[in-house]
Amino acid sequence: MTGQKRKRNNRRSYDPAVATEPLEALLQQAFPDATELAVVDRTGGGDHFQVTVASRRFEGLSLVDQHRLVYDALAAPLSDGTIHELRIKTKGTA
Amino acid sequence: MTVRDQISEIIESQPVALFMKGTPSFVACGNSQRALSALRTAGAPVTAVDILPDPSFRQELSALSGWPTVPQVFVKGELVGGADIVEELAVTGELERKLTEALGEGFGDAREERVIALAAA
Repeated sequence: MTGQKRKRNNRRSYDPAVATEPLEALLQQAFPDATELAVVDRTGGGDHFQVTVASRRFEGLSLVDQHRLVYDALAAPLSDGTIHELRIKTKGTA
Repeated sequence: MTVRDQISEIIESQPVALFMKGTPSFVACGNSQRALSALRTAGAPVTAVDILPDPSFRQELSALSGWPTVPQVFVKGELVGGADIVEELAVTGELERKLTEALGEGFGDAREERVIALAAA
């Protein structure tokens, strides 16, 4: 099984914060009470992210509804293609 | 039938519908693989739908579900989640409970995996 290989032709130096900070800011806005908030660039390519948020807002919600809140917060970068892949981990604070 | 009608018919009629990139025999995305593996581990009777053949498949699916990413797993018409959620539910045993609740004991007896192809408009 060969899927398409993604070529990384220009190996310039890259600061992951450039990609993760705007997403962190959006999440901070949406979850001002977050007790944990992290965005990790999983591949170093600036488009595959792991997001972790712990907030009281998640309590009592199904995982689907919890993730929907995260998708809502990141709607802009999701729709404009900034985020190619997103992994989400949500937690309540209880 | 429109693409959206085909998708909603699959969601409504299939016990477990997995909208994915590729098919179970040729998975084209790591997240689709994660969702498929979690469902298989739980013994779910998976009906897989490849959303890659036409861009409208993915657009219509997300418009219908309000969920922006693929894969998407539905159990008895209800969106259960994407790869992260299904994986998490599988680990905690919640997925099997959900399947039993929705489909009854012995939901995994058939152990069948189906593939349904969508037709572009």
